[in-house]
Amino acid sequence: MPNPPEAYLAARTLHKHFGGIIAVEDFSAELRRGEIVGLIGPNGSGKTTTINLVAGALRPDSGSIMLDGRDIVGMPTYAFARAGVGRTFQVPRLFKRMTVIENLIVPALTDTGTSRRQAEARAREILAFVRFEHLADAYARTLSGGQQKLLELGRALMLRPSLLLLDEPFAGVHPRLLEQIVEHIRMLSSEGYTIVLVDHNLDAVRSVVRRTLVMARGRKIADGPSEEVLQHPAVIHAYTGSRKALEAHP
Amino acid sequence: MLGTFRRSHGLQALLLLVALAAPAIAGPYWVHVGALAWYYALLAASWALLAGYAGQFSFAHIAFAALGGYGSALLTLRLGLPLALSVPLTVILAMVLGALMGALVLRLSGPYLALFTLAVAEIFRLMLVAEEDVTRGSLGLEVPGLFPGGSDVPYYYLGLGLVLLALLAMNGLLMTRVGLFLRAIREDEHAAQASGVNTTLHKIIVFVTTAGMAALAGTYYGHFVGILSPNMVIIPEMGLVIAMAVIGGIESLPGAVVGAVVVYALSEILREYGEWRFVLLGLALIVVQRFAQNGLFPVVERYLDRRAAPPGKSPVVIENAPNMEGEYAKPS
Repeated sequence: MPNPPEAYLAARTLHKHFGGIIAVEDFSAELRRGEIVGLIGPNGSGKTTTINLVAGALRPDSGSIMLDGRDIVGMPTYAFARAGVGRTFQVPRLFKRMTVIENLIVPALTDTGTSRRQAEARAREILAFVRFEHLADAYARTLSGGQQKLLELGRALMLRPSLLLLDEPFAGVHPRLLEQIVEHIRMLSSEGYTIVLVDHNLDAVRSVVRRTLVMARGRKIADGPSEEVLQHPAVIHAYTGSRKALEAHP
Repeated sequence: MLGTFRRSHGLQALLLLVALAAPAIAGPYWVHVGALAWYYALLAASWALLAGYAGQFSFAHIAFAALGGYGSALLTLRLGLPLALSVPLTVILAMVLGALMGALVLRLSGPYLALFTLAVAEIFRLMLVAEEDVTRGSLGLEVPGLFPGGSDVPYYYLGLGLVLLALLAMNGLLMTRVGLFLRAIREDEHAAQASGVNTTLHKIIVFVTTAGMAALAGTYYGHFVGILSPNMVIIPEMGLVIAMAVIGGIESLPGAVVGAVVVYALSEILREYGEWRFVLLGLALIVVQRFAQNGLFPVVERYLDRRAAPPGKSPVVIENAPNMEGEYAKPS
């Protein structure tokens, strides 16, 4: 029998409480290298907290996060980024009074071995990828909401990340730009990036991922092929609050 | 490079020439005023680096200046150290304490940082008052001068030299990746961390650098004025430094220097109006904040550069950024 695929990212029994509120409880999941998964759930289900834990922005109360066989819990946030964890935010957090190209070269220059010339060259490649060549010298604050999401994606790519955490990349984006973002994520996936995609736009998520994890009230309640998971009574119940689905499939 | 020369650079060169020639034209009173203005210029420019570029709104800046003044004076008077030793030792001490404060305020920002640093400044002032045996408290500590004779001209040029060196050093820092990271931290600390920036290290770097600059300014002030009192740490003094940086250009180092010189000169010109001059300066600060948030000097620079641009091709002016041609920003 062939060996099971080695987990590239392994989160094990993560717990995170804020005072008396349980944000994430007993969350475990594994991702293979190059895999793309959707992470969905109703508002307040703990998706963003989970992303923040995996990105190092929050430290779990307990549990471990192994990235390529190395436990990364406890490292400072910047070290997560340098270890290859790139992320975007629910609401884009750009360096707004800096130009597009400056936004892009910041992550590249955190590698002391990268010169400014190299960082700019890489930034030009990313600008071409997100089709922003004409906006290189524009201020980030002048971009539209969708453009800001794309720039944030580009900034994360400047880290040459092995793991990309995309928090609601489709939210509030014009439909035409949404198609572009979907296309970019597909391309990144085909290039071998390991991606976790969080969003409420289930159609868009389903069009990109095969595997979906569902969270509700801080817990993972489903994990599997997207089509099956989305039909699962517990998932329908979590989204609609209807008990009928659960009763029909006890 | 001729290709990147702008009218704003010409303006800066012109102002430098005026500053160099001023003692030959102005009388002793204005030379004295100018020499004092360089003290404020050093403080305003270094505070602009700390607050304008790195987003760290510290009110303890003036305390580091007092530390410089008292430190150098006490090392010279009490321990008999030569100035060549007491000045660098004081600046190093201020930088160490700056690192300590940078580490203490790592998780503070906005009003919390302002209140914390305000408390630090006030504690330091009260220590200066209370430790009468060492500092002579409110009576004032007499400090030996740097130059023989009664002329202020040597101090004027020393102050000008220190300002120029400080500007070169700070601009040099801003041209490196550290400058870019500081601006990224100012814009969004979490995003900077997620981009791999060690925000802790860079905040400490900026506190160390600016504490050293402030201490140097204080050292210069003490030896020039000849007497130090805890009044140099009072809140209105910090307010004056902030007003200078904001009016001149909080995100422009030369702007902060020009702001300091103009505001200090105005406060002297308007001296006959007593306390009303500060009311007028306060009003000027409000007007600038309302209509030119990044200060007046960058507005003048932009105006000059726009006028110089060929028709239909206005240059991309990188606001809030140091002059970075050939580095990060590539104005067309």
